[in-house]
Amino acid sequence: MRFTTVFLKILTLWICLFHEVYAQSVNEFPQKSDKLFKKVDLYEKLMLGNHWNEGAIMQHVIFPPAGLNRPIVGSQADCLDPTSEMLVALSLKYSITKDSQVKLKADQIFEAIEKLEKVTGVSGLFARSFNQTDKALWHEKALWYHEWHTSSSMPGYRWLGDISVDKYTSIIYGVGTYWEFCADQEKRNRAEALIDRFITKVMDDNFKLTDLDGKMTLWGNLCPDLPHQPLNSLLMLTGLKVAFHMTGKDKFSNAYKMLIEKYHYDDHQLASKVLFPEEWRNVGDDYHAARAFYMIMRLEKDKSLLNKYRMNLNRHWFDWKSMDMSWESSPWFPMVYHVLTGEDVSSNERKMVWKNMWGFERMKKAFEIPNEDGSIKIVESEEEGTAAAMIRNYWFGRYYGLIPPSW
Amino acid sequence: MVKMKISRLFLLLATIFVSAQSNAQDNIQPIPPEGMVYVPSGEFIMGSEIGDHDEKPKHVTSTSAFFIHKYEVSIKEYLEFDPNFKYSKGQLDNAVIVNWEQANNFCKCTGSRLPTEKEWEKAARGTDGRLFPWGNTFNESFVAWDYNDSRGGSIAKPASPYGCYDMAGSVWEWTADWYKPYPGNSKLIAEYGEKYKVMRGGSNFNNWSFYITSHRYYLHPIEISRYPVGFRCVKDL
Repeated sequence: MRFTTVFLKILTLWICLFHEVYAQSVNEFPQKSDKLFKKVDLYEKLMLGNHWNEGAIMQHVIFPPAGLNRPIVGSQADCLDPTSEMLVALSLKYSITKDSQVKLKADQIFEAIEKLEKVTGVSGLFARSFNQTDKALWHEKALWYHEWHTSSSMPGYRWLGDISVDKYTSIIYGVGTYWEFCADQEKRNRAEALIDRFITKVMDDNFKLTDLDGKMTLWGNLCPDLPHQPLNSLLMLTGLKVAFHMTGKDKFSNAYKMLIEKYHYDDHQLASKVLFPEEWRNVGDDYHAARAFYMIMRLEKDKSLLNKYRMNLNRHWFDWKSMDMSWESSPWFPMVYHVLTGEDVSSNERKMVWKNMWGFERMKKAFEIPNEDGSIKIVESEEEGTAAAMIRNYWFGRYYGLIPPSW
Repeated sequence: MVKMKISRLFLLLATIFVSAQSNAQDNIQPIPPEGMVYVPSGEFIMGSEIGDHDEKPKHVTSTSAFFIHKYEVSIKEYLEFDPNFKYSKGQLDNAVIVNWEQANNFCKCTGSRLPTEKEWEKAARGTDGRLFPWGNTFNESFVAWDYNDSRGGSIAKPASPYGCYDMAGSVWEWTADWYKPYPGNSKLIAEYGEKYKVMRGGSNFNNWSFYITSHRYYLHPIEISRYPVGFRCVKDL
């Protein structure tokens, strides 16, 4: 009896000491009443602690017990968005603080984006996300997208395909900003090479994002020979502009010129924003447009083209100026408009929104986990969303003087 | 000599008579079953040189005559076949979303079958090789990209040359065929074979170029994931 008790105590201690994987590594949450800088600091720790997947940032984390003895699992379709946002946030933070630890984290996130390419085994082809695992994980079939592949180039990894134009934008925006504000010379060279391979592949595939099977992905159409959304014309021009800016290679500026002169992408992009009917307005598309405007309008020197991008930005501003700013990236839209136009739009109302920015709450939810035999078990687990956009908003505001350090 | 002339004249008259009879037969279109349209036999242009590699080569091929549903099969119609089918309230008139087996069984039980890729593409683009069911120019307003507006719902959408609706957008549509390369296509990929069925027409969740009539996409016949796939049936004459 006594032996059993002692054994159980030792067993419990052993589990507590050596099974940290069953616990969230960061658990301190900010209070709503905290100063903004403290909220951002704590959310940054949560994101880098709990959402860290070898440098890639998970958009959604479901903690064990969720059918697995690993700390990270969740939908991974949009991981490139928070990965890019954290890379931008830390790049801007580094440019302000010059903190080497911040740069180290930014470097690791950039290396994860390199890994997103390496894991596919195809130069210029990027995964949406990856996992270090020998076998398919339960969420691969349960959580969209489902195009998971076993890596041929990185044994022991699986990766998620069917990359889309919004993830394309995440790569351009994240790596381009990192290159501009944070990377040292060695990393700048690698960032240039990465963007070179990425955009070259898009060009070689006739301005399409293609998957491992060589077919265009569900949302990969930037092609002049095929009908595509006007927003995609803006995104393609942005990618080429940034690629030329970073690498100096004429092939990118020539392609930019061709798409404008022969295929009129500069005119086509004017209709990126659907304003009416109002229910067709899409804040997700706004986000991709805002990132593209931020990258292309600072680089374009041709007044006529710049004017066209400004016209497109104006159409967005028509909606943004009175938009509900509760969505994670919507407080960032007026900042982008402010920076690109020089127009002071920092009204008291907007300042209050920026000051009160918030990340996420940890939630509990029941998940339907498929068993290997096809049956389903219901597991209640904790989950976290992402605060990467909020952290990016903060450091963007800090960098451009819209958010004072004292908030 | 006179006999020769008479026999030649007879032959000529006979040829004219047979030809006239044949033309008259061609011009008489069979009356399609309710909810279907008639697609005549003959050649048409299949495939594309500007789409994905699996759409190549653009080639001339032919089908026999057939009837095909004017609209995708609706939930209401599918419920007559499977009363236990689960659906959301208020969506009875929308296109049904099912796997290949379910679609195939429905067609069989109603005395019809799923269209082959050839038949689907011909019904969608006619004989002139057009890109979209209504012509060569894309018009966003012609596409049922909202699932709630599927099956020729609230917006005016031009029909295909043979009178089919929603062959661009709404839901993908199953075909009878396995995903295989066209004759003359030498680019081999791992997905070809008898693992995936071909679906056509794009849906409300993909980029605009998937509405091109020659576009092909492949999907597991049972595990359809979240792809919205429906179907329409064909009947032989």
